[in-house]
This record gives sequence, structure tokens and C-alpha cells, in this order.
Amino acid sequence: MSAGVAPPRRRRVRTGPYWLALQLVLAGSLLLLFILPVVALFTYAPFSRILSAAGDPAVRAALWLTFFSSGIAVLAAVVFAIPLGYLLARRSFRGRSVVESLVALPVVVPHLLVGLGLFFLLVVPGTPLYRLTTALGLPVYDTIWGVVLVMVFVSAPYTVLASDLSFRAVDERVLEAARSLGAGSATVFLLVTLPLALRGIVAGLLLTWARAVSEIGGLLILAIYVLPGGPYNGPVTSTISVYIYSLFQGGDLADAAAVSSLFLLIAFVLFLLVRLGERSGWVPWRRGELGP
Amino acid sequence: MSRWVAEGLGTQLDAFRLGPVDLDLRPGRAVAVLGASGAGKTTLLRTLAGFVRVREGRLLRDGTDITDWLPEERELGYVPQGLGLFANRTVEGNVRFPLEVRGRMDQAARTGELLERFHLTPLARRYPARLSGGEQQRVAIARALAAEPELIVWDEPWQALDVQARYELGLVFQELRETERVPVLVVTHDPALAFSLADTFLVLDHGRVRWQGDAPALLDHPSDPFVARFVGFENVYDRESLERGNPGQFRAWLRERAGSDGVAFSRPVVAGSGAGSGPWEGVVQSARPTPEGLAVSVVVDDLRVALRLAPPWTSPLPSVGDRLRFGMDDTRVHPLGSSFPQDRP
Repeated sequence: MSAGVAPPRRRRVRTGPYWLALQLVLAGSLLLLFILPVVALFTYAPFSRILSAAGDPAVRAALWLTFFSSGIAVLAAVVFAIPLGYLLARRSFRGRSVVESLVALPVVVPHLLVGLGLFFLLVVPGTPLYRLTTALGLPVYDTIWGVVLVMVFVSAPYTVLASDLSFRAVDERVLEAARSLGAGSATVFLLVTLPLALRGIVAGLLLTWARAVSEIGGLLILAIYVLPGGPYNGPVTSTISVYIYSLFQGGDLADAAAVSSLFLLIAFVLFLLVRLGERSGWVPWRRGELGP
Repeated sequence: MSRWVAEGLGTQLDAFRLGPVDLDLRPGRAVAVLGASGAGKTTLLRTLAGFVRVREGRLLRDGTDITDWLPEERELGYVPQGLGLFANRTVEGNVRFPLEVRGRMDQAARTGELLERFHLTPLARRYPARLSGGEQQRVAIARALAAEPELIVWDEPWQALDVQARYELGLVFQELRETERVPVLVVTHDPALAFSLADTFLVLDHGRVRWQGDAPALLDHPSDPFVARFVGFENVYDRESLERGNPGQFRAWLRERAGSDGVAFSRPVVAGSGAGSGPWEGVVQSARPTPEGLAVSVVVDDLRVALRLAPPWTSPLPSVGDRLRFGMDDTRVHPLGSSFPQDRP
């Protein structure tokens, strides 16, 4: 470079504000899509109507059935889905990919098909499983067992996938240190692996629960109405999604909006409580991340 | 405290073969396993700890064959790379863990005692993520000791520690050996740190033992150029590089002293003033100050030689292209090329 001649200074364009604006617009659009239908529901249903829906025994029965059966579905996910996730994360075996695809299947299959499949498996008289469930006194058609079965089918994969990822993320060396400190495999699982993976697993269980309460497709075939029996001994009712759907089908738009709004409020408060619990650090699955 | 003996221990992980390795770990002794990345150091540790299946040879603890014992039965404190602390437990919870799984009655007392000993009491309720590297090391060692291990194996103890923390860790190791008499086996790729701790060394290369013995023997008789460079010799010439090129006097002098694999010597020291003295003269290639003196690189007979100019220095300091004289006596020059390890125990 020749001495004395300074190169022309390029004016630097400040892209920061535009970049931020772009992010805000894109993120905001999606949030709007989430919020606007909710706003529409609440606009259509005045607050007094929501309150009266909350006091309506029929709505309460549907809500109770929904939370009760989805609770059982989440329990089933704890018992069956977490072990499957652990197996996928920690063991290598033949046919692993097949198992992984099977787990993903309920997520992609239209849920009406799930209902149909379970119908042909368990409800059509003469099939071995029909005979078995009848003999055991656990009929599934229009019972809470049918509701739970559909819910587990469509929602447990989220816990399997989340557990698989969370168990994989636990550092093998931490587990080896625990073994070497005198803990057997089962103790290491209970005291080290599970607590370390718990946060992801809980996220999976929340998704499982959310998917279970929102299920409708399979239920339209297997359990539109739920008759008392088994652990459920309330009045004849439906899960909340089917209940709202039948209100809508019957042309009762204001009630459909009110019950929907009520359900949204409850779900929102529940999720908010969980998040607040996580933020405050009193839930066990966030220990160690936030410091003392 | 137990005596641990590995006899021809060997294993295989996929395509990687390790061994045979012979070890004798006596109470109060420390062994350093040295080697570059991928040499098999961690595999050796995990084999001793019981996480890798032994394919050949055996492992004895006080004469009992424990080759097939489960990791939790071995009473061996394994500290993996990254320490393996439990992120969901406090410092106190980490240290108490081994006592908890043993169902010990004196959990609180013993934990308190260890926390006190390693200056962790004020940190007892913190989680590992909120500790410094040195504090985490202290938690790891306190936790390992809580189990009252018969052997401590530690993968890269000095990793990611600042100078002060390294120094403190050195004191902890010293105390371990003197008071607890626990044999210690550490893995490191840093020879300087290994010399500060261990009395016996094992140099691994591609899963094979390249050298094994105590510090004076290692420094006196490194087996080959790889080991010589690895333990910190700065001037290492293999036979081939001594044979080719312009045969000047210095090269001839070295060749006379070389073993079958070449020759190694540490930096000859030159007085820090004037143009040096001695029979050899080199042309300065670079000079940079270090705490040990001015590190100077010269070229003699096409061979690059590292020298050290001892303080006090007087200006002008040597600069590139200057000529500098140096000398060294025969005892500093180590021939390379024994038939170790086959002919040594």
C-alpha cells in the first residue's frame, strides 16, 4: 500500500436492529396464531357464561373424567414408557430401528385409525382379546378403559422419545463414577440416572398429558360416551373434547365456546404452575441447575 | 491398604487393543500413566475399574483374583475425566453418596469430617455447577475417599485447573499418600505434572506399553525417541537423522554416544553472558525468556539444538544469526534403544 493514501472507509451498515425486528416479526406472527383463536373463544363466550359452565354438573363430570383418565394415561406412561425410553437410550440390540419406528407410529397415524384399530382388536366379538377383556371384566367400548387405552396409544410416545433423549444426555462417566463408589446398577438408576434425566422426562410427561386430554379422534370411535364402571363411577358423560364437539354439533355455539374457554383456563393455569415451580426451583427435576 | 497387581492385562474395544499391561500398585505409591490422546490411558483405567471386560491376563487385589468382579465390588475410587460429580446433588450430597449406598450409620459425621478436611464446609449446600474447577476437584476426591477405597484411579486430574489449583491438588495427593497410604494411579498427558506426583511411570502408545519404571530410570534411560520426547527431553535425535546430512564434529560426537535408536539430552546450560563457551558452536535461530532462563535454539551441523541461558543475563542478549558456544558432558547424553520392556521386569 502506498504511504499517505488512506483506503476509502467503507460505511458499515448496522444490521442489528433489522435483524432483531425480523426475529420479532416472525416470532410474533406465530404467537398471534396461538393467541387469536383463544381471544375469539373468550370473546364469543362472556365471562358469566364461563362461570355458569364451571358450575354445570355435566361439564364438571366431563372435566373430571378427562383429568382422571388422562391421569391414568400419564401413570401408564411412567410405568411403561420410561423403561422403553431407557432401553432405547442405553442398550443396543437388533431391530432397534424397528422399535424406534413403532414408537413414532402413533404420532403420525390419524387418530381415527387408532380408534378403528382398537375397535377391531378389542370390541368386535369373537376376537381373542375381546374374550379376554370381557372375561377379566375390563370391557373397553364406552368405558373409561377405552378412553385410557386410546389416550395411552396416542400420547405415550412423547414420554418414550423424551426419556430416550434425556437418558442419552446423562454422561456415562457420571454413572461409572457412581458404580465405582459402590452403587449397584439399580441404585445408580434410581439415585443418579433418573434424577439427572428427570427434567426431560417430566417435559415428556407434560406433553403426554397434554396430548391425552386433547385426544378426540380415537375416542369418537371407541368411547363417545363413557358409562360408569371400573374406577369411574360418575354419570354417563364424555371426555371434554368429545363433549365440546357434541355441543358444537348440536349448534350450541355459545356453550361450546364457554366450555372451551373454561378448559383453556384450567390447562393454562396448570402449565403456568409447573413453569413457576421450575423457575422457583422447588421441583426436584431442576435441582443443581440454579445453584444454591 | 491393599496391593494391586495387574498381570498381562489386556482388552479390546472395537478395533482398539490394549495391553498386555503389568502393574504393581503398593500402598503409598503413585503410578502415572502417560501417553498421547488415543494411547489407551482411559481404557486402562476403565479396565481396572471394571467397566471394560478383560480379554487376557488378570487383576489381583492382595492376591485375590478380582478380574471378573463388578465395579461396585472392587473398592476402587474411580474419578473419571470431568470428575463425574452428580449435578443434582449438593457438595454434601455428593460426598455422602458412597456412605448412603452402603447404608452406613455414621453418614453425617463422616461426611462432615471429609468436608472439613477438604475445606468444603462453607460450600456444603452448593451444587457442583456453582463451584470453581479446584473446588470441584476437592469434592471429587472427598467423595472418592468417603468410600474408603483401596486404590484411587484418576483420569486427567489436572485438566482445566489453574496454577494455584494444580498446586493445591498436588498437596492433596501428597497427603493421600502420606496419611491414607492409598495407592494412586493417575492418567495424564503432561509429563511435568506426572513427575510432580508419581514415582513409577507407564508410557502407553497405541495401546502398547512403551516404557515402564521409576522416575530416575525413565530420565536416565528413555527407551526410544517417542518416550524421550514424551517425558520432556527437548533434544532428541533418532538414528536416521544422525546418519544423514553433513557429518560435522558435533554430529559425529553425538553419533558415538547414540544407541540403536538415537540419542536424547536436555537443554545444555550456557552462562548468561558473552558468547558462551565449550567445544560446539551454533547459529542462533530464536531466543525467548522463560522462568528457567532464556530458551535459545541454535543450529549445529544442520541439527537444531535447544539451549538454556542461565540468568543473570547481560545485554546484548543473543539475537538471530549470532554465534553461541556451548558444551556438555557425556553423562547428560542418553542413548536411546534398549530392548525394553521385554527384558526388564
